[in-house]
Amino acid sequence: MSDPSAEAVLGLLTSLRLGDGQFPSGAFAFSGGLETLCADGHFARGDLGAFLMGQLTGRWLPFDRAFVEAAAAAHDDADRLAELDETVDALTVGDLQRRSSQRAGRALLGVHARLGTAGAADYRTRVERDGLPGHQPIVQGAMLAASGLAISQVAACAAYGVLSSLCSAAVRLGKVSHLDAQAALVAVHPALAAALARPAPPLDEAAAFSPLTEIAMMRHDARPSRLFSN
Amino acid sequence: MSVSGKGAARVGIGGPVGCGKTALLERMLPRFGALGVEVAVITNDLVTDEDARRLREKRLIDPARVVAVEAGACPHTVIREDPTLNMEAADALDRRFPMLDLILIESGGDNLASTFSLDLVDYWIFVIDVAGGDDIPRKRGPGVIQCDLLVINKVDLHAQVDVDLARMMAEATQVRDGRPLIGTSCRTGEGIDAVVDAIRREVLFADVLQPGAAEA
Repeated sequence: MSDPSAEAVLGLLTSLRLGDGQFPSGAFAFSGGLETLCADGHFARGDLGAFLMGQLTGRWLPFDRAFVEAAAAAHDDADRLAELDETVDALTVGDLQRRSSQRAGRALLGVHARLGTAGAADYRTRVERDGLPGHQPIVQGAMLAASGLAISQVAACAAYGVLSSLCSAAVRLGKVSHLDAQAALVAVHPALAAALARPAPPLDEAAAFSPLTEIAMMRHDARPSRLFSN
Repeated sequence: MSVSGKGAARVGIGGPVGCGKTALLERMLPRFGALGVEVAVITNDLVTDEDARRLREKRLIDPARVVAVEAGACPHTVIREDPTLNMEAADALDRRFPMLDLILIESGGDNLASTFSLDLVDYWIFVIDVAGGDDIPRKRGPGVIQCDLLVINKVDLHAQVDVDLARMMAEATQVRDGRPLIGTSCRTGEGIDAVVDAIRREVLFADVLQPGAAEA
């Protein structure tokens, strides 16, 4: 194997920086329905790998990924981003799920605007001025690409962010250990890598179906006492 | 200039559970109102929006100016490790209420190590209380040591809990190398004006911008 180019190493370093739990993404407050699943007795210690796989195959790969990659490709085209943003909004049915995605996306956009990522301040102005939703997959895709990642790296980084955030929530809910989380990630990564080696679904076929977590997120809104935002 | 680059100044209020952070807010809000300071509040509760509801129900300020940010099981995390959602909540308050002078960000209770991200606040207050024990300053937690202003609340209880208040204050001054601290009682109102004046002087520059106003 030849030595990697400095450019390839820089791309890897950028992926690590943007995918790191230290990056202020706001993901900390979201459990993706896991808190309510736990409270309702639908999640046990050994379930994490299957849960992550379900979130990938039921939601992220067939839906979010298409928008993340489309936003990455259009990262310097605010009109196209706005269009994609509105489409995600229309296709995200659950109220709390939609609001959570907006909140996380807008917070992430605010961070990139402060960091001076290309296009962030402009799109943020449009989100505020035009009342755009600012959904997470759109902001994530556009900002990761604007930070210098190639589309394949954008997809891997965004998918890893979702998995990492769910693992972190499961650990903080006291349901799994840190080592359980690592084992679940190890189990899921080959399937994710294989899926990412195939093309994303076309936008007009993008659809999510993960009823148990979608219902859990709807029920979460009515919980009188909760640690997480969703 | 605020940490936000524009908009209202941002002041953090942290400290252990039960030390009186929300009570301090309840005491300060009417005082700020009387002084014409436009305030909004962000709360970071451990569970639900208990503190936010308490503030809204008392109508000390417009309930729309009280925002709760869920903390994902770790209140210190949303003020220290990843303050993103609080920053966004404060930005949203700035957009919605352009007249704001001050956004108070109350952190849900955590241990003595909870500090505020410098991206989030311009100035922060750490609150401890007499009833929590007079050894707290000696434990030299980062919250006690690093905050811009240490508030020691419930001073009216010192006799009931066998605390030598003078010694506790002296030790706190010592571990803080003489940086400011104020003893308060949110029950009797003692010390509240001094905290309000400190915020107005250090963050709103009331003595510079409105000569004589700091004594008002």
